[in-house]
Amino acid sequence: MAEDFEVEFIERDDRKARFLVRGMTPAVANGIRRAMIADVPTFSVDTVRFVENSSVMFDEMIGLRLGLVPLTTDLGDFEEGDVVTLALDVEGPATAYSGDIETSDGLVQPADQNVPIIELKEGQRLELEADAVLGRGKEHAKHQGGVAVGYRHLHRVEVVGDANEFDEQEPNILRGVIEEQAAEHAADEGAQNGDLVPTEAFDNDLAKRYPGKEVEVHDVPGAFVFHVETDGSFTVEELVRRAVESISDRAAELEEKIAI
Amino acid sequence: MMIPVRCFTCGNVVGEHWDEFKARAREGDEDPAEVLDDLGVERHCCRRMMVSHKDLVDVVAPYQ
Repeated sequence: MAEDFEVEFIERDDRKARFLVRGMTPAVANGIRRAMIADVPTFSVDTVRFVENSSVMFDEMIGLRLGLVPLTTDLGDFEEGDVVTLALDVEGPATAYSGDIETSDGLVQPADQNVPIIELKEGQRLELEADAVLGRGKEHAKHQGGVAVGYRHLHRVEVVGDANEFDEQEPNILRGVIEEQAAEHAADEGAQNGDLVPTEAFDNDLAKRYPGKEVEVHDVPGAFVFHVETDGSFTVEELVRRAVESISDRAAELEEKIAI
Repeated sequence: MMIPVRCFTCGNVVGEHWDEFKARAREGDEDPAEVLDDLGVERHCCRRMMVSHKDLVDVVAPYQ
């Protein structure tokens, strides 16, 4: 397996991206998906020491909420199992937000500043110290960096004929990305064969893209459209790169172990 | 009691948007669907977290 994959971005943001990969088998695509969920480590609060908690929630519930707050993770500078100490001290009346969390290491910070932890009333106080650990999604879902990670086949739409002109055309819903193969029939004037069109562009309805036509949808072999979102711990790019790295490391290890 | 930090189904962080959603759709008079679109809460699993949430801190506070 030495062929290169061809990667093309359809949508690209820090926390959300869609990209097309060609020349891949379903096994590799699924391997990458699983690695993104379970094998890329992120920081997450693991142990909490309460100094004072007179809020309406139990210590355990606040501990759970803290665990779910995403923390920025720079994977170049930390190794799995590393611990960073965080602290939170808020006195009511006020709401304790994730942004109030103080950190002992500037690289590890709450990725979102406005997540309410607990609302405190007059006279209530929350003071705690917490240890964030770099762990993997395999151990606990709070360490998952990837959110809503998945892939679909790239679709190719073939126009096979005209629809009966006296029939009311029914919606033909398709979600994903299509590779334009019948530009001459498309409702969009500027369409060219080979264009990658997300189905949202025509309201996920093929009847709107190819009005008055009978169409068939096929999968393009070996082409997968990944949809990747992160919780803010790192960028999508970092997540995908680390996931692929973890697979190739394990493959190399396997190769080395079975070689006699 | 408090808005869940993440969506139960997909794990997206929804707590981040609660304050704004509450101010605009619950206390304000904007359409909740439009506010959620605006906040980038797209999937219906995450949207139900916001739409069906009820803050209970004020209700339980006297019994502490």
